[in-house]
Amino acid sequence: MEEKVLEILEEHCEEALDYDGDSMMEDGVIDSFTVINVVSDLEDEFDIEIDAKYVIAENFRNKEAIIELVRKLLEE
Amino acid sequence: MQFLSVSFIILWALAFALYYLIPSKVQWYVLLAASLLFYIAGSKGIPVALPVTALTTYGCGLLLQKSFARQKEALETCAGKEQKKSVKEIFAKKRKRMQILYFIVNLGLLFFYKYTVLALPVLQMIPGLSSDFVEKLIMPLGISFYTLTAMGYIIDVGRENCEAEHNFLKMLLFLSYFPAITQGPFNRFGTMKEQFGKTHEFDYGRMLRGIQRFVWGAFKKLVIADRIGIFVDSVFESDVSAVPGSIFACAVVFYMIQLYADFSGYIDMAMGVSESFDIFLPENFKRPYFSRSVAEFWRRWHITLGTWFKDYVMFSFVMSGTGRKIGKACKKKWNGLGRHVVPIIGTMLVWFFTGAWHGRTVSYMLWGLYYGVIMSLSLLLEAKYSVWKQKFHIKEGKGYAFFCMVRTWLIVFAADVLIRSRSLAQAGMIFQSFFTRLDLRALLSKTVTSYGLSKYEFLLLFAALLIWLIVSIWEEKGKDVRAYLAGRPMLLRWSCYYGIVLLLLITGIYGGNYDTAAFLYQSF
Repeated sequence: MEEKVLEILEEHCEEALDYDGDSMMEDGVIDSFTVINVVSDLEDEFDIEIDAKYVIAENFRNKEAIIELVRKLLEE
Repeated sequence: MQFLSVSFIILWALAFALYYLIPSKVQWYVLLAASLLFYIAGSKGIPVALPVTALTTYGCGLLLQKSFARQKEALETCAGKEQKKSVKEIFAKKRKRMQILYFIVNLGLLFFYKYTVLALPVLQMIPGLSSDFVEKLIMPLGISFYTLTAMGYIIDVGRENCEAEHNFLKMLLFLSYFPAITQGPFNRFGTMKEQFGKTHEFDYGRMLRGIQRFVWGAFKKLVIADRIGIFVDSVFESDVSAVPGSIFACAVVFYMIQLYADFSGYIDMAMGVSESFDIFLPENFKRPYFSRSVAEFWRRWHITLGTWFKDYVMFSFVMSGTGRKIGKACKKKWNGLGRHVVPIIGTMLVWFFTGAWHGRTVSYMLWGLYYGVIMSLSLLLEAKYSVWKQKFHIKEGKGYAFFCMVRTWLIVFAADVLIRSRSLAQAGMIFQSFFTRLDLRALLSKTVTSYGLSKYEFLLLFAALLIWLIVSIWEEKGKDVRAYLAGRPMLLRWSCYYGIVLLLLITGIYGGNYDTAAFLYQSF
C-alpha cells in the first residue's frame, strides 16, 4: 500500500517525496489542486472514500501522514 | 474604538495588568470583558448581530454534538452493516438540515447588513424612519470576520474535527476576541480554545515582543499606508482626463503597497496585542509581493481567508456527492482534462464568494471572476509550462524568478485598478490612459508632487519603504528580526527601538482631513 501511495504522490507532486517537514500544505509544497488529484487517485486505487473532514492540513502534513490516513480508512 | 487610539492603549494596559494579577483559571474572563468593551465602544448603537451569531453558533454546535452521541447509541443496537449505514445516513441528514438552517440565519444576517447599505438612500426617504435608525443599519463591527469564523466552527463540529463548546461565554470570547474581531486573522476554534484555557504567566521578553510587533504595525500604517493613501486618494479623485497614464500607474502601484501596509500593519498590531496576552494568532501575510505566481500570492496574502475558503468551500464542494458525480462523469468523458473540471468549478465558487465577501459592487464580482479565471487557466496550462520552458530554452535562474515576480505584480496591478476605481467606467478610462497618454515624463516633473505629497514627503516615504524592504528580505531568508535585535548590545538595541518610535511619532500621518484610525480592510 505504501508504495502505491508514494507512486501517486510522485505522479502529482515529486517534491512531496523529499519533503521532511510537517506542514506540507502551509509550506506550499502541495497546493489544493494537487491535494484534490491525489485524493481522487487514492480513492480510485484503494476503493475508499476520503471525506472532506479528512482533507485537513494535519492529514497532509507529509507523506507519512497521507500513508497513515489511507491505512486508517482501509481499516474502517 | 480603534487600535490607534488613546482609549485602546488604556484598555490594553488595564487588561494586561489585570490578566497577570488574577488566578490563571479566570484569566480568560479578562479577555472576554476587554473584548466586549472594545466591541461595544466600537459599535454604533446596541450590537445585536454578534449575540445572535454567538447564541446560534453555541446552540447549533451543541445540537450537532448531541446528534453524534445519539447516533453512537443507535449504532450500538444495530446488527448488520446495512442497518448501520442507514442509521448513519438518517443522522447525517438531520445534521445537514441543522447546519443549513444555521447558515441561512447567519449568512442572512451578513447579507442583510452588507447589502442594506445599498438601499440606504431609499430608506432615508421613507417618512418616519429617523436618520439615526438608518445609521444603525450600517454593518456591525467585524460581522464579515466573525460570521465566517463561526461558520468554520460549525462545519468543524459537523465533521467531528472539533468538539462543541459547552460554555457560552467561552464561545462568545472565541467570536469576539478583541485583537482579531475587526479584521481577522480568522481563527480556528481548536487552537484558540487550547490557548484560552492555558495558564499564562507574565514574561517580560514576550511583552516586549508584543509591543515591538504592535509598533512595527503602527509604523506600516501611519508612516507608509496613510502617507501613500494621500497620493492615491488625490489621484483617484481627480478628473480622469486630466491625469496622465503614468501618474495613474504610479497611483495603482502605490495602492498595492497601501493595501498591504494597511492590512498587514493591522495584523501586526493584532498579533502584537495578542502575543502580550500569550495568545498566538495565525500568520496572515508572508511577504506576498515576493510571490512568483498568483496562486503563491494568494497563499501568502490574507492566508487565513484563503485557507478558510479552501477548507470549507473548495474541499466541501469537491468531496460532496454532487462534486464526486460531476468529477466521475467528466473523467469518463474527457479523460485527462476531465479531472480538472471539478477543481475549476470549486475555484470559481471560491472566487465568487471571495469577491462577494470583499465588496458589494460589480467591480468586486469581476475582481473575483478575474482571479478565478487566472487560477483555472494556470491549472489547465500547468502541464504545458515545462514543455514551453524547454522549447524556448528558459532556464530557472534568478532572472526567471524575477520575471515571474513582475508577472505576478502585473496581474495584481490590473485587479487593483478594478477595486480602487470609483466605478467600472473610471477603471476603463484608467486602463485606456496607460495606452493612449502614458506620458512617462510626468513622473519626473512637478506634476507628481501636485497630488498631496511634497518632495520631502516622497523622500520620507521611500526611506520608510526601504526599511520595510530590508526587513522583508531578512524575513524571507528565514531570519527573525526581533530575535536578532534582542541579541544585540543594549545601546544598539534600544537605539533601534527608539529610532522606530521616533520615526513613527515624527513622521506618522495624524489627524487632519485624513482618517488615521480607519483601516482599509474594515470596510470589507
